[in-house]
Amino acid sequence: MSLGAMAVAACGGSGSERAAVSEASDTDVASVLVMACTGCHSDQSGAIASLNVYDSDQLRDALLQYKTDANGTTVMHRLARGYSDAEIDLISAQLGQDDVSP
Amino acid sequence: MSLVFNRRNLIQSAVLGASAAALPGSAMAQARARIVIVGGGFGGATAALTLKRLLPSSDITLIEPFDQFVACPFSNLVIAGLRDITSQSFSYDRLEAAGITRIADTAIDVDPVAKTVSLQWGDDLTYDKLILSPGIDFRFEALEGYHSGMTGRLPHAWKAGSQTLWLQLKLQALEDGQTVIMSVPPAPYRCPPGPYERASLIAHFLKTQKPRSKLIILDAKDQFSKMALFKEAWEEHYPDHLEWRGASNDGTVVRVDAEADTVFTDFESFQSPAINVIPPQKAGFIAERAGVADATGWCPIDPLSFASTLQSDIHVIGDATIAAPMPKSAFSANLQGKVCAVAIARIVAGMSPEPTVLANTCYSYTTPDEAISIAGVYSNAGGKLSSISGAGGVSPLRADKAIRNAEAAQAHHWFETITAEAFG
Ligand SMILES: Cc1cc2nc3c(=O)[nH]c(=O)nc-3n(C[C@H](O)[C@H](O)[C@H](O)COP(=O)(O)OP(=O)(O)OC[C@H]3O[C@@H](n4cnc5c(N)ncnc54)[C@H](O)[C@@H]3O)c2cc1C
Repeated sequence: MSLGAMAVAACGGSGSERAAVSEASDTDVASVLVMACTGCHSDQSGAIASLNVYDSDQLRDALLQYKTDANGTTVMHRLARGYSDAEIDLISAQLGQDDVSP
Repeated sequence: MSLVFNRRNLIQSAVLGASAAALPGSAMAQARARIVIVGGGFGGATAALTLKRLLPSSDITLIEPFDQFVACPFSNLVIAGLRDITSQSFSYDRLEAAGITRIADTAIDVDPVAKTVSLQWGDDLTYDKLILSPGIDFRFEALEGYHSGMTGRLPHAWKAGSQTLWLQLKLQALEDGQTVIMSVPPAPYRCPPGPYERASLIAHFLKTQKPRSKLIILDAKDQFSKMALFKEAWEEHYPDHLEWRGASNDGTVVRVDAEADTVFTDFESFQSPAINVIPPQKAGFIAERAGVADATGWCPIDPLSFASTLQSDIHVIGDATIAAPMPKSAFSANLQGKVCAVAIARIVAGMSPEPTVLANTCYSYTTPDEAISIAGVYSNAGGKLSSISGAGGVSPLRADKAIRNAEAAQAHHWFETITAEAFG
């Protein structure tokens, strides 16, 4: 384990844990997962939807629908099938407009 | 590593208790690592911008000799006369405005022990972490009769810029009825579907402007990316303007004669004033100089951080890597640039890189307003990149025009987004 991780582990569960997560949040699991999304989706709406206009529930519903529609053939159907439901939760929470600050 | 935020600080803070909980974030804000990036293309420019955001106090230096980056994606449209080359060009102004130091120079050597990079003109640079995103170079020696001085006569147009325009000119100068030849190398090479998108758009050009001409593709392979979809489009749109010959049909070009405007397969020769030789490829030369390329000419990496498995403190991203099943694409290079930047930021701040899920989408035009796509989703856990089963795949066969039109529009949107991500 790295020293940095030890430092965090040493304080795990303390009242200020939340602050640590928020400050390191640029590199947490959710922030990195959505880096694949922003290769296509920008804040401009067009042939590819903007991600700045949905809340996390809408995103989760849409992604789960893409994932489970067996007959779907769009790029999003093909991509969504690669993500677990837990990952879809993280992505939706990260990108949803209700949820940007922890 | 010359970090202002050193291990002693870290331990002291840990001892101080609660305040240590805020460490990782502030460690990133304070860390002063010297990070040098070679290559300002899709991988390198993205990594530079991401690192500057994650490690604002660090010195981020980008080495790139050209003031304008000319993008390969969409350059096939330029070749076919459907797009202006100026729409392909991007400056580094926004990177410089973000606080990244750009040095207009070429990295000519790397000493992985002293951790220095030598430049063609300027002074050596010392790094704590080095990222190489040099793209590709050509294996001229792999094709008999071929050498670097021939790219005017037999343009590759596989690095965009003057080569792109040169191939466009050769097509425009063609007399109606003359044949166009394209030679496609064995895998791996940059952009697996790229030759077939180019073939489609050249065939479109011929069909509309030189209707008695046709394109012959001489291919060193029998299978290619989105093959069924391309073949369907070619049958529909270009039955008289495009012929594809695979390896087992004597398609492999084994020798070229530039003076005679001729390429040779085992049993035949093909002469044309417009020959596009896409040469066999390897990682950009600096990878070999740095000792991060293996016998294949490409660079093995730890997919968690894109750290070289051959040298410490050097990371490699983009086309230069061995990252299969991720293809050598701008989408991949961009995402690898981001994932690598995160990994380096975490390492610098004393945290370890975490596994994630990566993806790729590549669109190819089959006509000016129809496109097809391939997508993939990848895990970098467990020490390797692997395709996540059940995900990914290509556009449907026998689809409605509307679907092809929609993917053409998406491709356009993608280009705008990815170039904004890379170049600000
Ligand atoms: C015709 C064609 C069409 C394509 N279409 C698509 C597409 O539709 N979608 C897609 O995703 N991908 C596409 N690609 C692939 C895409 O262009 C590459 O995968 C992508 O550019 C790889 O990024 P990179 O950072 O590895 O290399 P590059 O983007 O090539 O950047 C490398 C940079 O490094 C610089 N450099 C090299 N060596 C040195 C050195 N020693 N010192 C300093 N600087 C150096 C170069 O000048 C260059 O600017 C296409 C490619 C081609 C050829």
